[in-house]
Amino acid sequence: MNAKNIFKLCVIGSLGMATLGLPLVFFASPAAAHGERSQEPFLRMRTAQWYDTRWAPQKTSVNDEAMLSGKIHISEDWPRAVTQPRRTFINVGSPSSVFTRTSSKVNGVPMFTSGPLELGGDYEYVIKLRARLPGHHHIHPMLAVNGAGPVAGPGGWMDIAGNYKDFTNPVKLLVGGTVDTETAGMAAGLFWHIVWGTLGFLWIAWFSVRPMFLIRARVLAQEGGDALLNDPVDRVVAYGMLGVCFVLIAIGFFYTDSQYPYTIPLQAGEPKIKATHLKSDLTVKVLAADYDVPGRALRMTLQVTNSGEQPLRIGEFTTAGIRFLNKVGVANNLDPTYPAEIMAQDGLHIEDESPINPGETREVKLDSRDSLWEVQRLMDLVHDPDQRFGGLLMAWDEAGNRHINSISGNIIPVFTRATAG
Amino acid sequence: MALFRTAEIIKASKLPPEGVKLSRMIDAVYFLPIAYLGVFATFHMHFDLLAGDWDFWVDWKDRQFWVTVTPIVEVMYPGAIMYYFWTFYRQPFGATLSITGLLVGKWITIVFAWYWWANFPANFVMPATMVGSALILDCTLLLTRSWMLTAIFGVWAFAMVFNPTQYALFGYSHQPVVVDGQLLSLADYMGFTFVRTGTPEYIRIIEVGSLRTFGGHTVWISAFFSAFVSMLVFTIWWQVGHFVGQSFFWVKGRRGAMTRMNDKMVCGSDEFAAKHGTPDGVAPGARVTARPAATTIS
Repeated sequence: MNAKNIFKLCVIGSLGMATLGLPLVFFASPAAAHGERSQEPFLRMRTAQWYDTRWAPQKTSVNDEAMLSGKIHISEDWPRAVTQPRRTFINVGSPSSVFTRTSSKVNGVPMFTSGPLELGGDYEYVIKLRARLPGHHHIHPMLAVNGAGPVAGPGGWMDIAGNYKDFTNPVKLLVGGTVDTETAGMAAGLFWHIVWGTLGFLWIAWFSVRPMFLIRARVLAQEGGDALLNDPVDRVVAYGMLGVCFVLIAIGFFYTDSQYPYTIPLQAGEPKIKATHLKSDLTVKVLAADYDVPGRALRMTLQVTNSGEQPLRIGEFTTAGIRFLNKVGVANNLDPTYPAEIMAQDGLHIEDESPINPGETREVKLDSRDSLWEVQRLMDLVHDPDQRFGGLLMAWDEAGNRHINSISGNIIPVFTRATAG
Repeated sequence: MALFRTAEIIKASKLPPEGVKLSRMIDAVYFLPIAYLGVFATFHMHFDLLAGDWDFWVDWKDRQFWVTVTPIVEVMYPGAIMYYFWTFYRQPFGATLSITGLLVGKWITIVFAWYWWANFPANFVMPATMVGSALILDCTLLLTRSWMLTAIFGVWAFAMVFNPTQYALFGYSHQPVVVDGQLLSLADYMGFTFVRTGTPEYIRIIEVGSLRTFGGHTVWISAFFSAFVSMLVFTIWWQVGHFVGQSFFWVKGRRGAMTRMNDKMVCGSDEFAAKHGTPDGVAPGARVTARPAATTIS
């Protein structure tokens, strides 16, 4: 390779390095969400159906307690393309561990490890958090399903003020005493890494202070070279190093064993969580549903029967963590802290808004219409391999009791306004 | 009396003083920027792909899979690197170079990726250290001067001392805690408390199977199994080192027959030429024209 070629390669290499360095020049804004919109609509609508999600309080300081809570309905119409929830974990979707999680209960059962959830089951989760990293963070509840991946719930913003250096996360040991998860075992780990690293580098240095490669290769190729390279002092040092290693390992092991006489292995069990089930006096059957692509609306025709003793009014349809409400829903179930960007307060339209009386069976035409279908990328439903929708339909009686039905059915896309009758 | 045999070795190399000086420069350039950086970059990637999660997280460091998988994966590169350094230079630091290189890469990752970028504390993502095991392996090779005995005794010790070595670093994480009425190890709780959005609990591969029925001595059963597999893996990777690192070339003997010479890094010395001939069949002193001598294939 001549000088000209070397110069050319240097120029190309420099350009490559400069290209890699470009992102550092421009401002890179932090990610504001966790890709939940990129998940397919049939996955978001018909697996985990989230409702009553709360982020409280939304403003905290470092070390403050916070809570992420809500309910999750496991859709009866779980898609065939998605592995069933035989091993799941209620998780938190956050940009790194901005909060630590101090407790997680599902239907009152601690969920430290993964476990099965039941199709059609209803679960209330309460996740206690402790503010750790200051900032403006987008936090989701998340259902991780083994074989299917994480299904993100609705995301809400939580602010943490203060300084990370003040953060502590103490936990009481069963045998007495308290440790901080931020620093536990750090000193021992660093100490032993430094000890072993130093020994390792000393060993290499012992051989690198002498000619290392070319000269030894030439000698080795000669008659008697192997014996010449077998320096007695190296053998003495090797015996010494072997002894040092075994002694250090023994000291480390027995000292640690004396420090922590009571230990247990990692726990790999699974929680047994009993499901509850939605209660409703309504029976709902989806007769037809279409998706108005240009109008950004899901239109349903439902056959609804009220088998209760009180008139009921439909007030909310929620799917994929996105809420479509009408006046009834706003009056009964408006949480002012719920993120406005995933809630349409005037997004639910019913042809006949009169209450459904006890014993009455009625055909209800329901229209959930909002740009959220577009913004939240649920309009991609038309590209899904499984053309069905799902969601929770909520109705209220006059006493304010809520009746929830999980609904699902086939959906037909309507592509043009001309045919969008 | 000199500590080392360096003077004798330099004399035996028959290199002039400027050649010796040049060889030391080559040592420096070859060792640090090429061999060391190359090993730590590639071994780090290799290890993270095969055993990464067990080494990343404190709540993956169980007595079954962690103890089994880590030595098996960590002995691979040392096998090949040891072959190269030992066969061509009789240098007994291939394993230590590999494992310290791996740890340099790991600590760069811990500081910049795990702590600075992802905000996990270093104790939560503390890697295991097998430098002690590597030193034992290198010492065994130096003392036995046999790769087979190294595979049998050195590699066995390499894997067997893994757990006692790590216990000094991670013993604290097996202290019991009770949270919400449930017994957990501190490591379990740390894995729970530090939120990992993309790594839900079920991803953990720990404590699976029936090894636990062996009288509770799971960790030693795992270590024995790991040691035996490590022996096999070491011999395979020693041969990988042989395959990748072999240098052979063809020489023309005095009667004109071409002979393949294996594993010889040096040709061109007068003794070598007298014994084996030269690539082009011309005596060293008689070579006057520039004839292609590049018959070395590697």
